[in-house]
Amino acid sequence: MDLVFALALNGIVWGLIIALIALGLSIIFGLLDIINIAHGDFFMVGTVLAWTVLQTTGNYWLAFLLVPIIGFGLGLLINHAVIQPIKNAAALSIVATFGLSIILQESVRATYGAAPNRLVAPIQETLLLFGIQYEVYRIFAAAIAIFAICLFFGFLHKTKLGTWMRAVRFDPEIATAMGIPAHRIYMVTFGIGFAMAALGGVVAAPITTVDFQGGIDILPFCFMAVIIGGLGNLEGTVAAAVLLAFVEGIITSFTDPTIARIGSLIFMSAVLIVRPHGIFVGATR
Amino acid sequence: MRVTDTYKYGSWSLVLFTLTAPWVLPLLVDSFWVDIYSEILIWSLLAASVNLLLGYVGLLSFGQALFFGFGMYGVAIGVVKFDLGFWSAFIFGISLATAMAAIAGSLAVRLTWHYFAIITVVFSLIFYFTALSWKPITGGDDGLPFTIPPIISFGEYKLTMTNANFQYFFIVTIVGACYWLMYRVINSPLGRAFVTVRENDARAALIGLNVYLIRLTAFIFAGFIAGVAGALFALFGRYASASYMFYHVSGEAVVWAIIGGVGTLFGPIVGTGLMIVLREELSSVWDHYLLLVGVAVILTVIFAPRGIGGAFKVLAEKIARQQFSRKESGP
Repeated sequence: MDLVFALALNGIVWGLIIALIALGLSIIFGLLDIINIAHGDFFMVGTVLAWTVLQTTGNYWLAFLLVPIIGFGLGLLINHAVIQPIKNAAALSIVATFGLSIILQESVRATYGAAPNRLVAPIQETLLLFGIQYEVYRIFAAAIAIFAICLFFGFLHKTKLGTWMRAVRFDPEIATAMGIPAHRIYMVTFGIGFAMAALGGVVAAPITTVDFQGGIDILPFCFMAVIIGGLGNLEGTVAAAVLLAFVEGIITSFTDPTIARIGSLIFMSAVLIVRPHGIFVGATR
Repeated sequence: MRVTDTYKYGSWSLVLFTLTAPWVLPLLVDSFWVDIYSEILIWSLLAASVNLLLGYVGLLSFGQALFFGFGMYGVAIGVVKFDLGFWSAFIFGISLATAMAAIAGSLAVRLTWHYFAIITVVFSLIFYFTALSWKPITGGDDGLPFTIPPIISFGEYKLTMTNANFQYFFIVTIVGACYWLMYRVINSPLGRAFVTVRENDARAALIGLNVYLIRLTAFIFAGFIAGVAGALFALFGRYASASYMFYHVSGEAVVWAIIGGVGTLFGPIVGTGLMIVLREELSSVWDHYLLLVGVAVILTVIFAPRGIGGAFKVLAEKIARQQFSRKESGP
């Protein structure tokens, strides 16, 4: 029973981190109409940057601040070099981001190395929680993820830039006609998308390993959250991510994790075929 | 030289090169390039299956590796578990891939564009994870090696793939037959229907075409071609492994097809050949040659989305137009 509880709790923590990363994927899809195969690698770059910050400054807390900013900058750069030129060929965006994914993985392998590293969590204490010793860092990670998600929704609904983003997503032509700089909104959106994945990387780095292939496992999970929640439905994405990770956590406690993953994938295909706009469609409007 | 001539000379020299490769390649470079060339021919079929869907019916599949994997495992499991002979294992692998394509296709072609691309990835991931965890049947991470049964045996004398020349010409024959089949299908009324659906599915439906059935037919045909590639690769490498079902393999095939030029019959061979030769030449010199591959992919998508084949077509048409107008204005 303790094991089930621990794995379920792990599932929720992991789901919140995934939600943070998947939100980035979801806004990039919703606004730019781009299926970003490289999104898992944005996360991986986040973990590697976090590791680098820890190695150079010796202070992990700095990474929480620095890495999203670097990620935002990298996002702007990539948007300018890769995403804007292919905006007219949205159909091939999958191929271009696949190329981007190869570039990111290979440049990390060339600079950081191929060997995976483990990070020591900045909080070492454990906490007695309902009869199990639970790592405090994981609870902290969940808190950070929740905080960042709330911050993002606050930004989207309460600030001018956020309102503009929603307007461009709703109707880019009318938004442009109303004087909203759609081009700049695309840029910022991609930057924020990268920054969120990178922050997810910082939060998750002490829980998982830092590895140039770290994004490969994350990507399908993020896509599952985005699809099951509904492409472009942001609240749905968060709910689906937490729900999926929670259920996978529970299933993992009595069988092979791969079987849990296969189950989620089959569920996802069913959602795609039966309700391609997500299981929560109708709940939000 | 007229455009049709360039095409004709191009394809004839390709055929001539293919038929003499086992003797010419060892003279020119090294005998291991014969194996590389066989590999290029096999992988080009996987790229061709992507091309059939993307170039002719307008569906981007990111999961063709699934059918490649089924062809591969069909052969390996047929030989190891069911003790099948050469031909029956080969046919078993291809039928397994085609059947899987029929099942997956009947669900997947209900969707288009992004959704279609995603569901094909998801299907391939489901079976990738299944193959990984189902160790007694698939061998999981380690793969499933096998020894090749002879093709024909006359008492003591056996024809097997262990004979390098025989293996090469076996691959050439099968790959050639597949391209011939694709050529026939593309130039048939069915092929015209594929293109109609690609150009405008709403109008295709209005002139009485069954869009769902046409897409499904194309999907099954593409799955069949990918299955042949997988079965050939299993016989060529003497093993099957789950790693060939991962979405990176599908992605590579898409890259080869796009660099070679989608919507052209021989584009996939050109793209696959170029990228595999690049890999073989560069990977020993520079460890991080994949950076170049990534850059090449992005540049192709931005500047030449129709690939090498498409660029050649545009160039050829331009020359043809010039020659035509010169003839018109001539005496």
